[in-house]
Amino acid sequence: MKGPKLRFFSISLTVLLLITSSGLVFGGWYLKRLEETVAAKFEGKKWPLPSKIYSDSYLLYVGINLQLDDVWEKLRRLGYHRTQAMPKSKGEYRYQKPAGLLEIYLRDFVYPTEPFKGFPVRISLQGTVISRIENGVSGEEIFSLELEPELVTGLYDRIWQERRVVRLSEVPPLLTKAVLAIEDERFYHHYGIDPVALLRAVWVNLRSGGVVQGGSTLTQQLMKNFFLSDERSLSRKAKEAIMALIAERKYSKDEILENYLNEIYLGQKGSQGIFGVWEAAQFYFSKPMADLTVGETALIAGLIRAPNRLSPYRSVDDATKRRNVVLAKLLDDRVITRAQYDSALREALPRRELIKVTNDAPFYVDFLRRELAEIYSNDELTDEGLGIFTSLDLHLQRIAERSLAEGLKKLEETYAGLRRKAEGDHLEGAIIVLRPQTGEIKAMVGGRSYQKSQFNRVFQSKRQPGSVFKPFVYLAALMSSAEGGKKFTPVTMLEDSPFTWSYDGQEWQPSNYNDEYFGAVTFRRALEKSMNSATARLARDVGIRRIGDLAHRLGIQSPLPAVPSLSLGAAEVTPLEVAVAFATLANNGVRTRPLAVKQVMDVNGRVLEKRDVRVEKVLSPQMAFMMNYLLKGVLDRGTGEFARKWGFTRPAAGKTGTTNDFKDAWFVGYTPDLLAVVWVGFDGQSKLGLSGAQAALPIWTEFMKRATAGTPVTDFVAPPGIKIVDIDPVSGQLATPNCSYVLREAFPEGDEPTGTCPLHPGPAAQVPRLN
Amino acid sequence: MKKPLCAVKLFAGRPLKIVVVAAAMLVAASCAPRPLYRPPVAPSSTTPAISRAPQSPSVAPPAPEISKKPLPQEAIIREQDLKSRHPSSGPGAKEASRDGGAGEGRAASESFAPPLPDDSSLLAKITPATAPQRAASLRLTEEGRKLLAAGDPQKALTRLEKTIVIDSTNAYGYFYLAKAQHRLGRYKESLNFLDVAESRLNKEPFWLAEVHALRGENYRALGMMQQAEASYAQALRLNSGNRTAAEAISRLQGEDQPASR
Repeated sequence: MKGPKLRFFSISLTVLLLITSSGLVFGGWYLKRLEETVAAKFEGKKWPLPSKIYSDSYLLYVGINLQLDDVWEKLRRLGYHRTQAMPKSKGEYRYQKPAGLLEIYLRDFVYPTEPFKGFPVRISLQGTVISRIENGVSGEEIFSLELEPELVTGLYDRIWQERRVVRLSEVPPLLTKAVLAIEDERFYHHYGIDPVALLRAVWVNLRSGGVVQGGSTLTQQLMKNFFLSDERSLSRKAKEAIMALIAERKYSKDEILENYLNEIYLGQKGSQGIFGVWEAAQFYFSKPMADLTVGETALIAGLIRAPNRLSPYRSVDDATKRRNVVLAKLLDDRVITRAQYDSALREALPRRELIKVTNDAPFYVDFLRRELAEIYSNDELTDEGLGIFTSLDLHLQRIAERSLAEGLKKLEETYAGLRRKAEGDHLEGAIIVLRPQTGEIKAMVGGRSYQKSQFNRVFQSKRQPGSVFKPFVYLAALMSSAEGGKKFTPVTMLEDSPFTWSYDGQEWQPSNYNDEYFGAVTFRRALEKSMNSATARLARDVGIRRIGDLAHRLGIQSPLPAVPSLSLGAAEVTPLEVAVAFATLANNGVRTRPLAVKQVMDVNGRVLEKRDVRVEKVLSPQMAFMMNYLLKGVLDRGTGEFARKWGFTRPAAGKTGTTNDFKDAWFVGYTPDLLAVVWVGFDGQSKLGLSGAQAALPIWTEFMKRATAGTPVTDFVAPPGIKIVDIDPVSGQLATPNCSYVLREAFPEGDEPTGTCPLHPGPAAQVPRLN
Repeated sequence: MKKPLCAVKLFAGRPLKIVVVAAAMLVAASCAPRPLYRPPVAPSSTTPAISRAPQSPSVAPPAPEISKKPLPQEAIIREQDLKSRHPSSGPGAKEASRDGGAGEGRAASESFAPPLPDDSSLLAKITPATAPQRAASLRLTEEGRKLLAAGDPQKALTRLEKTIVIDSTNAYGYFYLAKAQHRLGRYKESLNFLDVAESRLNKEPFWLAEVHALRGENYRALGMMQQAEASYAQALRLNSGNRTAAEAISRLQGEDQPASR
């Protein structure tokens, strides 16, 4: 009997020993793993820093005419708050209409080349025109100032954590004490978990019948935020406790506290999460931590419990109550005096509008990402906290978005055949806006709805430009003339009639719209009215290769086959290329490179990359002016004349574009300072059935009317070597007082007509322009 | 015996006479014709490139448009040398040539214009009649110029790019952009901006001379010495007081000296 019992006992003991030792081995391994995890977090990179994309800054100068509604909107989007009293803090402004005075307390901003320290400015207005700007402190006159760029969006992985990491020594002592007082008053006495706090929390929760008090220490909260989910389970709590003990063993209290103050979640601003006390001070009070008052400090500490529910953006009353709880605790703990407590109680929390950062330029941002992806990896873009400064103008971007959306909708309402139900088959469009003198891309709308389709038709979609290509033919003709070839001037007669162009054993017969031909027409008229046959004849005389080379020189990058149909735009190009090429004309023959990313800065303010304006003179200013002068006629008398009827009256040049099969409708138009290209069509190459003047021109006109409102009116300036004379457009000779219709025409000097109009004899006289 | 007349005695007791005589002398001096303006002579070297010292009739060239003063022999030889290296090539050369377009249509032995008054002040170009955007652009250009002078071309570049946004006709903005690019060692970019500046400058020989001089500096940095010399020469033709061009020419001559012997 004794034998079996002994055997049973020894087996049981062996099993127990095995289990215990396995448990110890596994436990030891598990603890080791947790320790490594904690160490990796504390000693490695703790937080991803999303990169931020900024718009261009906004320049104000003496003499500029402000659109005040746009200025208020701009200030609002920048997070400035309007006050009744004189602005005393950064981020405030006041407008006194009777006095014509706008006072702004500019905020700090870190520009790539220099940090900017905000100061108050006083802007005197005469009506809506800035008459004087002065430093609000010294009274020194300033002639121009910049409003900082707007934050467009961030580049992040999964969650956008807005955070500025600070050292514990940079955090005001009062803020540290407030956080400890309300969240973990025994922080410096426990070893990671606090049994006293735990028991107290249990007791309070039992009494109240719910979870009203937590017993977690700061260290436990930090471990939870670093590694664990919000799941409320025993296993998670146990793990949290063990990790807290490990952290306390390995690291100092100050290190743990510093990490906590940087890690803690303190609010939400749209897609941006607000993390860390530095960011909270900026988000709630637009000030650095050092400038926080006692009341403001107490509020930030109090928000840790429930940042969104207690946020002053949601409820000032709730926030005030919570602040007062913290103040009472601080008074109890003798962190603040009675006088400070009373004073803090009287502080009124500001009622402010929450300005969310919404990506208002998703197509533009996509374009930027592609450019940046050539230099930076995705991890660098989402984790390194880069500052990306762009040429985007959010004001123009919003106008472009609105113009395209409204324009396409109106087309569908007007033309029933454009309404499509099938997904992916809706009428689409694109707009790109450039500053010709610098190449800056100011706005980009790649499609009707980014949510439905992220395909960016500005630079990803190649379509035939149709008649938009014709100006290159006419320009090539003018240049050939200047270089000693066959003479072409705006009054040269061209033949607009059917013909056959034989080449490489093939034949091509261009035809006009509606098979309507005009016979003998002037060079100018053929371009203004976009006559196919006349243009093709001209192209044959000039040479198709020369035309293709010229188009490339101006900025077209796509291959251009040297076939006759190229003259009518049969090759495929993107709206971006068209914009660059026409911007060269607008900029007096100087080609610029398209510029979206201007500067990239790392988290320490060091400039990693700067893309300057690049220029290249590819055309003489005389030739560029000639083309601009001709293309002005398109808007004044030609296929684009409805722009004038619809209210766009500024000096501008442009060209409509319609493909032969009516699948694409284009309009490219520009002033000396702003250029926009509009394309309309179906992605699936269905027939649109509308011309560029019908489909694209209305959208362009609406955009330009809004975009140029209030800006100075500029015109193309004739360079030396250009002669402008009054002519009779029928005879092409100098106008006489007897000519009933007079056109002011530009010629290269020496090419202007010298004889008077034979149809209306009389002395040559510079009569007042009738058109 | 008569005592010699003593000046003191003559005028003694006649203070009014003294005053009248002194006044008469002053009036006579102020009415006297001023001496002819003589422009400063170029920095001396053994073979001065540019000099306005009068020439002997045997070598005096026909008076050119700009100046009636004939060139010294050395300058005539230099001009001929430059022309032989950069012959003009028809109407297109006027625009296409980057060598200052020096040769076409000018007599080989032209002389240089007298130095032009300093027109470099941008703020002086702002008057009550100046359009606001031009005024703002000029002020920003001046800020950019100061940053360049302070040795910060990168910051200057950022400032100057705004000038052409506000006013794309501001030629001076383009000029200083060219200068900033030059300081950053981007000589080809600098040349591009100079092309634009030149096309926007209209009848401003002082500034055109600056453009050509800076062009010369760019060419010299790129090792294109012939084009550099031609650009400097063109600058001096427009403004013989252009220091950059004058000093550069002297330097080049100094470098040429051992080879020419």
